[in-house]
Amino acid sequence: MHIRKGYLAALILCVVACPSLAYSWIVQQNNSAQDQNKTKNESHAPSVEPSKETTADLKSASTDEGQLATVNNASIPAYAKVYVAPMLGGFENYVIAGLRNKKVPLTVVVDRTKAEYEISGVSESEKAGWAKMLFIGSENSNEQASIKIADLKTGAVIFGYSVHKTNSARGRQSAGEACAKHIKQIVRD
Amino acid sequence: MFRPRSLASLLVILAVGAVSMARAEDANSAAASGKVPQGAKIFVAPMADGFDSYLKDAIAAKKVPVQIVDKRDLAEFEITGTSDSQKAGTAKKLIMGNWHSREEASISLSNLKSSEVVWSYSVHKEASAHGKKSTAEACAKHLKDDAIEK
Repeated sequence: MHIRKGYLAALILCVVACPSLAYSWIVQQNNSAQDQNKTKNESHAPSVEPSKETTADLKSASTDEGQLATVNNASIPAYAKVYVAPMLGGFENYVIAGLRNKKVPLTVVVDRTKAEYEISGVSESEKAGWAKMLFIGSENSNEQASIKIADLKTGAVIFGYSVHKTNSARGRQSAGEACAKHIKQIVRD
Repeated sequence: MFRPRSLASLLVILAVGAVSMARAEDANSAAASGKVPQGAKIFVAPMADGFDSYLKDAIAAKKVPVQIVDKRDLAEFEITGTSDSQKAGTAKKLIMGNWHSREEASISLSNLKSSEVVWSYSVHKEASAHGKKSTAEACAKHLKDDAIEK
């Protein structure tokens, strides 16, 4: 208290005696306080450089059946709730069956609001024509499908996979199982 | 020099840890592959080409121990799915010597309370002897074998 009183008295004397000197002293004090705050903020705030590094880094790897892409090596925790969105021709049912058949440790839900991740995609099936049967002797269909997995909280697409099967032995079932097999690769226990 | 008391307490701690881990694994596997109790009320949702009718008949034919209900509100579980049928064309009959249709179907069984899919199955028959009836019966057979509690 004594020190504060003395400080105040000195300040008043300075103002009375020399206003310009007092003004410069106050400005100096303020500047030093601002500098201290700046250094504190800089030490707490994240730097700009690392944020550039966290931008999407799409990595693709070719497999025997199709192309696989993961963003920043993303993964899904085991038993996460996944919603499979309706796809053309009911392909979502084949994906769900594939997930079960390939023993992928995910919980599939039919209510999107209860899900953490969403699988969506498209599929196309081409039945064998007479020329294929005549010249190649195959009555198997050609199948292609492409799926992606999005995190419903962040909206980020974390996984993508596309498959093309010429002469698919089990039609859309094969394509659905191929998708499930590759989804399993990004599920971590 | 191990004292018997400390050794016993160590064994007890290890046993408790092992039991708790086993319970956690059981809970996880149960969540992944839940079973449907016998006599459960199941609603079969309408499917393309009337495959739901074939499925209902197949569930009765294969004596699957569940109760099929017409109203979704009364049901505990729901079967949804899709099917695709392609009749043999002239080329298939002449060139391949096969006049059976190509059938494929996929169904999912979901718990209406938890919204979780408890079981799913897909079938593909390149030359189905009895058309949709064969795929529906395959679905019903696997429903009985895999999804229903015994």
